[in-house]
Amino acid sequence: MCDTCGCGTPLVHRIDVNERLLASNAADAEHNRSHFEQSGIFAVNVMGAPGSGKTTLLETTIGRWCEARRIAVIEGDQATDRDSVRIRSAGATAYQIETGLGCHLDAAQIHRAVHYLDLARDDLLFIENVGNLVCPALFDLGERLRVLVTSPTEGADKPLKYPPMFRAAHIVLLNKCDLLPHLRFELDEWTESVFAVNPRVRILKISATTGEGMDEWLSLLDEQRATCSPAHGTAQ
Amino acid sequence: MHELSLARDLAAVVERTLGPRETRVLRVEMGIGSAAGVALDSLRFAFELVVQGTRLEGAELSFITIAARSRCGSCGEIFVFEDMIGHCPRCGRLGGELLSGDEMVLRAIEVTDV
Repeated sequence: MCDTCGCGTPLVHRIDVNERLLASNAADAEHNRSHFEQSGIFAVNVMGAPGSGKTTLLETTIGRWCEARRIAVIEGDQATDRDSVRIRSAGATAYQIETGLGCHLDAAQIHRAVHYLDLARDDLLFIENVGNLVCPALFDLGERLRVLVTSPTEGADKPLKYPPMFRAAHIVLLNKCDLLPHLRFELDEWTESVFAVNPRVRILKISATTGEGMDEWLSLLDEQRATCSPAHGTAQ
Repeated sequence: MHELSLARDLAAVVERTLGPRETRVLRVEMGIGSAAGVALDSLRFAFELVVQGTRLEGAELSFITIAARSRCGSCGEIFVFEDMIGHCPRCGRLGGELLSGDEMVLRAIEVTDV
């Protein structure tokens, strides 16, 4: 409209913004990260499809480590507290987040959950994300390490089908490797695809059920804890 | 459906940018990296739901795709592509280290006075 009397078509103003989305999540994540550092706790975001074995991995890890290290777990699921019950039975403290319609955890949820835990007393915090190979990849929770748990029953083509998730991970665990002889799973093709999407990632073959590869997983975790001290920044 | 979270965030950033001025929002322009893993149709659908009953209702949500860049894992060539993952034009190898292309940016808002 003209400025004098308001006649004509409305004037359109363009406002340039150039602001990144999820900036508030990023700010919450940084807040969490500094809180974890001050508490001396190493936070690990565990992601993966439903049924890939995330909870079993944590149960086995807790079983192997709970004498030597104090472990807390934040569990994210759409519904039920089944996983936190399993984690408590395994010997760690657990807090359950039920996301309802939410397909991923975000940093604000972790911030609220942390108030129910006594982090100053713990050495490690595992955050088990909602089972999903898409959404959790986009949301920084304030962790130091992102671990993707995947399994051969999901198929060898998944790295190329879900690149952001495989790209987001510092470590990819091929869980249930005891099933490999029984499946048509091209391990070389899968490995090549993982590296195509994420050349720097570490890959480990494990079975949280039989214990295969668990020694390597635990030493890698310890190694990452040492190198991910605040002076070294985020894992590479 | 992380697009619902993105849509809520987008609406909040637009509202904060506009502040208390009385305007109607005609268009919201986003830049999205081709490797960001955002489903544009889902984001548009979620945005329409989120802005119902606000001054953003009826605003057009438009996207500009930002090409992604990777460094080839074999020959080191830096190349541009408009997809989730690309082939190196020099040696043909798939993928590589993603240098950019996961951006999700609110570029601009077009408003008119009411």
